[in-house]
Amino acid sequence: MSTIISAKNVSKWFGEVVALNDLNVEIETGVTGLLGANGAGKSTFIKLALGLYRPSRGSVTVFGESPRNNAAVLRRIGYCPELDTFYDNMTGYEYVYWLSRYWGMSAKHAQVAAEQACERVGMTDRMDDPIEEYSKGMRQRIKIAQALSTDPDLLFLDEPMAGLDPQGREEMFSLIRELGDNGYSVVVSSHILYEVERVTDNVVLLFQGSIMAHGKVREIRSLIDAHPHTIHVDCSAPRILATHFVQDESVLHLDFEGESRLVIRTKDPNACYARINAAALEPDVEVTRIHCADDSLQAVFDYLVK
Amino acid sequence: MMDQSSHAFTKTSILPKPVAPSGPLAQYSHCLRASFGHSLTLMLRRQRIIFAAVITFLPVVIPLAIAFLSDSQFARSGVDVFSKMAGEAHINTLAPLLALFFATMIIGEDVESRTIPLMLTRPMPRSAWVFGRFGAYLMVSTAILGTSMLLTFGASTALSELAFDRDGLEKLFTYELAMLLALMANGALALFLGAVTKRPIIIGLIFLYGWQRLATFVPGVVDFLTIMKYTNELLPVALESANQVVREEILEFKKQQYLVGAGKAAITLLGITAVLLFCSVVVVRIREYATDRAAGT
Repeated sequence: MSTIISAKNVSKWFGEVVALNDLNVEIETGVTGLLGANGAGKSTFIKLALGLYRPSRGSVTVFGESPRNNAAVLRRIGYCPELDTFYDNMTGYEYVYWLSRYWGMSAKHAQVAAEQACERVGMTDRMDDPIEEYSKGMRQRIKIAQALSTDPDLLFLDEPMAGLDPQGREEMFSLIRELGDNGYSVVVSSHILYEVERVTDNVVLLFQGSIMAHGKVREIRSLIDAHPHTIHVDCSAPRILATHFVQDESVLHLDFEGESRLVIRTKDPNACYARINAAALEPDVEVTRIHCADDSLQAVFDYLVK
Repeated sequence: MMDQSSHAFTKTSILPKPVAPSGPLAQYSHCLRASFGHSLTLMLRRQRIIFAAVITFLPVVIPLAIAFLSDSQFARSGVDVFSKMAGEAHINTLAPLLALFFATMIIGEDVESRTIPLMLTRPMPRSAWVFGRFGAYLMVSTAILGTSMLLTFGASTALSELAFDRDGLEKLFTYELAMLLALMANGALALFLGAVTKRPIIIGLIFLYGWQRLATFVPGVVDFLTIMKYTNELLPVALESANQVVREEILEFKKQQYLVGAGKAAITLLGITAVLLFCSVVVVRIREYATDRAAGT
């Protein structure tokens, strides 16, 4: 793993609005999720990494260099913007073709690249239709195609799942995972945490222009000692199971859901899991399922922002 | 600064590796042609080109109308009619109009359609992008306006004193050249406005049709701050008047108006074009074009 994006003490403000505040982060190769609510600074960070913005303070480097007006860096980057960014009166194929030409490809190479990129995102059948006639999902796919057509080392996907139907989302998840498996570096921004969780467990959490957490979801979770884990245990006798935790000081709260579920809130999940295992060996308690809700990225995010 | 090679990592391409141009010159040439071709495609597909063409070709009708409908003495001279149409209509009115129609959108359209982030994340020289698009504008507007002027010339031959002879064609060539310079200077100004402002057409209208006309009537030298001052200097129209007294009066008047001469005017127009194009490239390099100027918007 090597660092591909490095932000040091980066702040960015627009007039009196602070979009990013003293950001320090290093993003390594592989798939990284850039998470945060609307206005958290995700798009601003991406635009800084793309060189579209200059930092108001600090520095951003991509592949070790400043990306702004830097052809050597930009040649290795692909970008799929969040918003629809299309020219009027243009087909999907032409859109990809011309953007490939701007990359520096000859007409012949751009034709091949555009066709193959359209094929890669499943748009071959519709690539000669005007973009105005595309559905939201098709538009999203053709934007991905233009980003892929130059075979970048680093791909920025800004809210790539926006507007996609369930099947489109699955295809997008699959594509991003495939890119990651093949050694591409992908930065995926989203405000829907579940989406990012599907493609990577490596996340950067942004909140109001600052980095709230960075790392693996589990690593992040372990850092949040102040917040308890919630463990759901489905078993035949939850009240008997609960007696094992009454004396445990790390357990903050016990609750019952229906007749067969015990909900444990604990500051020490490892000790809790050990007790559950021990209890499961007893004949009165038949444990059928253990589920830690806090593994969910949404839960981590909720804890962090509260 | 870290070495680029330290960031090389193994990747199995899911698409064929694109062929990058070899050397900066080839890169520049590729991007220039891409920008030119793309811009030309966009302009030719736009409905506004039909509207622009209709307006631009209106002057062709006027010499014919004069020839067949008017009894005035003025109608006898095809030279006067053509000179007036070419100078007033084509060069001083329609050239700025076409610049507003097309050149303001060279960069402004990418800002409006939010495609500018895609443009600015391409590894292309910004000047190649700007020059390529300016070239497309110049080709389209010259084709439309040049053809209109040619047809106006042809229509004016229906009147006296003008024909497709050597003198006539020289005259036509002079006006076509002046028109080209007017398109260049006005286009560069419109392009620049498109690069720096959000409302280039309104500001362009105010400058090209408001300020320029006003400056002509303001005593002193403020007309030096117009493009029209220099395009007018290229026009031989007044000196071609058949009336000796009028000719001398005009010459005297022109002296009082700080005459700069056709040669210097042409150089000035080229200079204005070059400076404004350069400024546009600088603006494109330094300005932060974006769609979300503030967090969360």
